[in-house]
Amino acid sequence: MQNIIVVSQKPSDLGELIAIARRLGEPLILAFQESAVSINEITGYGHKVYRLNSDRPEALYYAIKSLYDSLKPKLIIGPTTKNVKDALSLFAGLYDIPLATDVSSIEDRGDEVIYKRGFLSERVIMTASVRKPAILLVKPKIVSPAEKIGKSDVIDLEVTAGDVKLLERKPKVLSGIKLEDADIVVGVGRGFKSREDLKLALELANLLGGQVGGTRPIAADYKWLPEDAWIGISGKRIAPKLYIAIGISGAPQHMSGVSDSKIIVAINKDKSAPIFKLSDYGIVNDLYKVLPILISRLKARASQK
Amino acid sequence: MELRDIIVLVKASLNPEIVRQNPNGSYDIEYTPLKISDIDRNALEEAVKLKSILGGKVYAISVLTWGPLKTRDKDLRLAIQEALAKVADEAYVVADDSVTPTDQVIVSNIIATLIKAKGLRPALVLAGEASIDESTSQVPARVASKLGYSYVGYVRKIIDIKNGKIIVERDLEEYTEILESPLPAVLSVTQEINEPRPPTLIQIRMASKKPVHYVSLKDLGLEFKMKRTIMDMRVLTITRKQVVIEEANVEKAVDRLLEYLEKEGVLRI
Repeated sequence: MQNIIVVSQKPSDLGELIAIARRLGEPLILAFQESAVSINEITGYGHKVYRLNSDRPEALYYAIKSLYDSLKPKLIIGPTTKNVKDALSLFAGLYDIPLATDVSSIEDRGDEVIYKRGFLSERVIMTASVRKPAILLVKPKIVSPAEKIGKSDVIDLEVTAGDVKLLERKPKVLSGIKLEDADIVVGVGRGFKSREDLKLALELANLLGGQVGGTRPIAADYKWLPEDAWIGISGKRIAPKLYIAIGISGAPQHMSGVSDSKIIVAINKDKSAPIFKLSDYGIVNDLYKVLPILISRLKARASQK
Repeated sequence: MELRDIIVLVKASLNPEIVRQNPNGSYDIEYTPLKISDIDRNALEEAVKLKSILGGKVYAISVLTWGPLKTRDKDLRLAIQEALAKVADEAYVVADDSVTPTDQVIVSNIIATLIKAKGLRPALVLAGEASIDESTSQVPARVASKLGYSYVGYVRKIIDIKNGKIIVERDLEEYTEILESPLPAVLSVTQEINEPRPPTLIQIRMASKKPVHYVSLKDLGLEFKMKRTIMDMRVLTITRKQVVIEEANVEKAVDRLLEYLEKEGVLRI
């Protein structure tokens, strides 16, 4: 069986990555992580675990290089996250290894591997084949997580930090909410006139048992929401059962982040906004009129039950 | 000798706003116009600031990804002209149909080889964090690897540059970091780094006088066997129901919406 290196940044990624890798060969886990992650979270899949006690891309670069040089894997699988993309792109450049991100399916064909990925803000699906060795960084939730089945040997890796010096690390202001795990997400856009007004969206989300996310301007530019609530091509990609886009026009950069939603609802006063063509249901009206009524209707329903 | 020059990587990308499909559902790539990748504009804007500090020359480098050159030439020129108008003193362009549609392995090899072959010795190579078409964020890092330069991705702020070092803020998944990197370095920048201003009319007029060097793969002594083959590009037709409630009475509109959602089984209350 061919060796597959599975790069894991968060223990929560690992089950899905292992499930993908097991179909392709013998997974060897490279867990790079903050020292706070407990060993139990990365072991038990029955495969060898190489542990790196750092989540810096610089450290991951040296770790993957040393594992690659000794194990000569045919495939490297990982999540499409900034840290992993950064480190593996640098590594890929060293040996001219092809690398794809946002991969949604993988088919092994001996010397080649065929994959699908979304591009053009997920509006087009590309099918491509590359010669091995190859690096495929996958989208979340394309498979069910693998079960834990046995003991793992853990080998600690020591690597150099390279020539880029870390002077300071600042945690982002994060909600800690995992938007990608929510069944219902209320999305807010520039139709909201002030930060205060977001409490309407928050109340709606609470009533529905959902979470609030937002477009780039709301989360990244105005900072009305924490950065992990940013939905779109450079933010989170989500696939809830219900996505309610409020005051959102429907730009491709945002919509690519929600295109896997089961049902999309739009509330927007501009009848010509592209969002209505990209939604299942839409109300053409001012969000400031619609939300109070929607909220009071839901409150009434909640009290009936 | 202190390094003063800057290279900005500029890509003529497929425009994601215009996605047309052929009758068979495949992506109509041939007639999709190319435009400068949005985030490259942030790299150009940052080069304006850095050029005034470093005092050297700015070079734009562009490799044509999507051929054929015959139909892409105008769009490619426009992208390069924007770089020249904005900040670049000269541009190097590699547009070779033998490697289109190209892949990131080849693009990074071309860029690195070109930089060496033309004797460019930049302090910095700047690029956008991702192109607007493929969005894989890998070319800047690959170029750094090939050249043996330092690399910092996702830079959202340049804090200081002096004495052969640069201090930047990097945006990662759950935190930001202040990093110090030696020069020369390749940086990929995010859209938060600045607010790009369009070039002025005078700048655009001046741009036409600046040199654009077309370089062939033969000039660079390069020959490639493509590692990636694109087999299919299919437009994702998400068939949303597109039920639009234009009822002026908001209460009625909301009730109708709730009925629909009830039927879909997506409401928990």
